[in-house]
Amino acid sequence: MMSGLIQLLNNHGISHEVIIKATFYFIAGVTLLFALFVVLARNIFHVAVYLAITILGIACVYLYLDAEFLAIVQVLIYVGAIVTLFIFTIMLTADIDTGSIRGIILRVLVSALVSLALFFILVRVIVMTNWKVALPGNLPIDLPQLGKSLMLDYALPFEVISLISLAAIIGAIVIGKAEKK
Amino acid sequence: MIPQSHFLLLGAALFSIGIFGVLTRRNAIGILMSIELILNAANINLITFSKFSDNPDGLGQIFALFVIAIAAASTVVGLCLVISIYRNSKTILINKINLMKW
Repeated sequence: MMSGLIQLLNNHGISHEVIIKATFYFIAGVTLLFALFVVLARNIFHVAVYLAITILGIACVYLYLDAEFLAIVQVLIYVGAIVTLFIFTIMLTADIDTGSIRGIILRVLVSALVSLALFFILVRVIVMTNWKVALPGNLPIDLPQLGKSLMLDYALPFEVISLISLAAIIGAIVIGKAEKK
Repeated sequence: MIPQSHFLLLGAALFSIGIFGVLTRRNAIGILMSIELILNAANINLITFSKFSDNPDGLGQIFALFVIAIAAASTVVGLCLVISIYRNSKTILINKINLMKW
């Protein structure tokens, strides 16, 4: 169905390149929109769902950067594990935000000012820098190459990561364990 | 071909949105979620520079993999601390957690 749609668009004079560009900007826009929902929505449970959609959009962006393995890892770890953990924690700590509104408007204004200033500085730097155009013969990194360098060149960081994961698991169990009377 | 700067602009926008969330959220879980946005923005930058570099050896992708692993570990510990705080003080709103303030 998808290839048929692309064929139909090609027949109407829309090239493959334009379709790729249009889908990228659409995905980027949806990702940014849901990222804004993540920071602005009131209901914390909705925020978890918006975060899942944002992360799926970022996984699609990884596909545009020839990082298929990273996209799969992103979906598995973030959407499969981290968002599920967030939802569990939200259910365990039912706490409705009923604090006073006084003082919050000023804080939102100052935060918006700080983050907008940061954004404009970053945009200025990115636009002013003269980026090199990628060489046409630049092959994407394939999965066997990635696995080899992970197991040979970066074996020590890999082992350290597994130690950190073990420490996090044990620490989480110890901290989260209910105290016995 | 999508230029490199557009990926970097996407990363910058996500980073700024995450900073805004960290500064405005009162719910501790919401702050952790905004930190996830910031880490993802950093990952987009790492993979972009890895793709557009002169000598593509996949180092940026490996680094992004490590960032994802550390983000998962830190989120697990952070959510555990949130549950522990909730058990002790019955709130996760950060302006009500004032046990160590005088």
